[in-house]
Amino acid sequence: MAIHTDMGSQLVNLCSALLLLTCFAIIAQRRLSACVDLFALQSVFLAVTAALVAFLTGAYHIYIAAGLTVVIKAIVLPRILKAVIERLNVKRELELNINIPSSLLVCGALVILAFYITQPIISLGFLLTQDSLAIALAIVLIGFFIMIARKKAVTQVIGFLVIENGLFLGATAAAYGMPLIVELGVFFDILVAGLIIGVYTHRLQDTFDSVDTSKLTGLKE
Amino acid sequence: MESALIILVAAPLVSGLLSLAVRTRPAMEKLQLGHAVVLWAAMAAVVAGVAAGEDVSFGSLLHADALSAFMDLMLAFVGGTALVYAVGYMGEKLSRRQVEFLRYRRFFVYFDLFLFAMVLAVNLDNIALMWIAVEGSTISAALSVGFNRTKAALEAGWKYIILNFVGITLALFGTVLVYYASEHVLGVSMEALKWSALARAAGSLNPVVLKMAFVFVMIGYGTKAGVAPMHTWLPDAHAEAPTPISAVLSGLMLNLGLYAVLRLKTVVDPAVGAEFAGSIMVGLGLLSMTIAATFMLIQRDYKRLFAYSSIEHVGIILVGFGVGGSAGVFGGLFHMINHALAKSTAFYAAGRVLLRYGHKNMEGVTGLLRQMPLVGGAMLLAALALAGMPPFGLFISEILIAIGAYDKRPWVAYLFLGLLVVAFAALVYQVFRMVLGEPKETGSPMTPGGGRYTAVALAANLAAMGYIGIHMPGFLRALFIPMTRIFHAMAEVP
Repeated sequence: MAIHTDMGSQLVNLCSALLLLTCFAIIAQRRLSACVDLFALQSVFLAVTAALVAFLTGAYHIYIAAGLTVVIKAIVLPRILKAVIERLNVKRELELNINIPSSLLVCGALVILAFYITQPIISLGFLLTQDSLAIALAIVLIGFFIMIARKKAVTQVIGFLVIENGLFLGATAAAYGMPLIVELGVFFDILVAGLIIGVYTHRLQDTFDSVDTSKLTGLKE
Repeated sequence: MESALIILVAAPLVSGLLSLAVRTRPAMEKLQLGHAVVLWAAMAAVVAGVAAGEDVSFGSLLHADALSAFMDLMLAFVGGTALVYAVGYMGEKLSRRQVEFLRYRRFFVYFDLFLFAMVLAVNLDNIALMWIAVEGSTISAALSVGFNRTKAALEAGWKYIILNFVGITLALFGTVLVYYASEHVLGVSMEALKWSALARAAGSLNPVVLKMAFVFVMIGYGTKAGVAPMHTWLPDAHAEAPTPISAVLSGLMLNLGLYAVLRLKTVVDPAVGAEFAGSIMVGLGLLSMTIAATFMLIQRDYKRLFAYSSIEHVGIILVGFGVGGSAGVFGGLFHMINHALAKSTAFYAAGRVLLRYGHKNMEGVTGLLRQMPLVGGAMLLAALALAGMPPFGLFISEILIAIGAYDKRPWVAYLFLGLLVVAFAALVYQVFRMVLGEPKETGSPMTPGGGRYTAVALAANLAAMGYIGIHMPGFLRALFIPMTRIFHAMAEVP
């Protein structure tokens, strides 16, 4: 049993680390559609992590959450985003507020910060997923950074979704997932939020002829 | 009582779904006015039940204690007057052919769903399900903010979406952390997410985790409440949203954000001491007041003026709960309900002005008392109340909060009073310029008869405000005593 748990926690850590790695890949990527693909890949890793936790703990409701992750975050939302990108005809994300090398450095610092913040509470958690909590916070922080560092509306949406992925990992890591009804509600909300952001991006394109959010400067004092 | 609670929560949802099937304007008006009446009646029954000393609950899902009943009172009363007002406002837009019927209908669908999510959120006895409901209100409001498809409305809507969705996500992280702390004590089950169970177990939860959770929740729901420095979406959204939405955003949604933070504070305080959450709230409250007072002075747009005034009042409420004690807590609660009434009144008036003049520039708006006596008078009264003039309740709550702050840390009280003076001067100066003097522009006259809905909404709000400002009614007193117990501030209610 001990070996089993040890092996299990190694696997969970590996998957969490892969999640974090895709964050860095998204930061380093300039092409928009590749960013969406990377987000889909990250969601798959997330689902695998969740399924692993479900398998190792016997908390079977996490399987449902993992399945929903694949359907909504790895298939439906990326499709919507791709459709938006195609319609908007923005292939490349050239405008960055912060260039790629310094972005990567900042993200490295964010990871260290996340581990530092969670240090005092990590020992409370379950053995299996202890280190994933720090990684989850790191992903949330990097998601934020993506929203700040990129100008295009679509990449900001990806940043938002990355934050959601980090949160989901956090919930799985910290508490072996929330009760099922909560997970379902959260998924529903995220799906609707994603749809609404998609609708808004369309309207921005129609009205401003661009999805460059740095052009939204009409309202100020 | 149980059935009243169910009706209260279900009425907005049912009305929203029925609106989808409505095909004529008179039918929509009847439906929404009926909806308002049902809301008021159900709320009265729930409040009466809780005031009599019995918490009302339905299964393990809904539970209305004194704090929930207080929020119900605010949400249903102001929500009802906002519905009445919206019937008049959107009707006027429809008669002028500024919106077509399909969008008129869609407006009410969004509006009802928005109300539904808010009423649901305050009655749910579960921190995570509450999050889902709050997110629901964020989503439905996102649709309403960008309702006018102008460039400015889209920009405001985008800012609203990005900031609030990120905020609400952080609040979810805080919620997860609360669960992380509570499952060790209450077990891995729904029980560990229930407010009532959390409140009982509060003392034995891990303090470090709760501290982190509070910080995340404060930033997250604080964004929704318009707390500085996360307030930047608020003036834009309030200025560009259709005015009935502005009134509800300001009067109710900000209070919903505060409610979520305050609920968690009642759990965090016993575990880590009142000092931790209190100082964060006082700090953010004073910052909000400073920023709002400054921007009110230089404001040119009257809807933005009232928006910044909302940030100021959220700051005041935060300072009140932050300093705590019976004076601070009572002041904060009383401030919440009076602000909801006064600010929605101000927006109702501002909406009529906007319909008449077609712009939001204060330079062009003068002599309202002569040109639109009812609207101008209501705006003047609301502004005096918001500035903190007696006999309105905001005067009492501001004094109480100042007294509470003076007891704890005198410098907070000095700074608080100083900022109140600046905000007072800014608001009164700006509004006096609008209501007094000779009218400059004639604007486009209103459709006859459309004003009666506005008159009802304004009169109801002003009457309620005057009523509770001069004499605290028994049912409100009966709610305040258990509420101070919920906030661990036991003492005589002034």
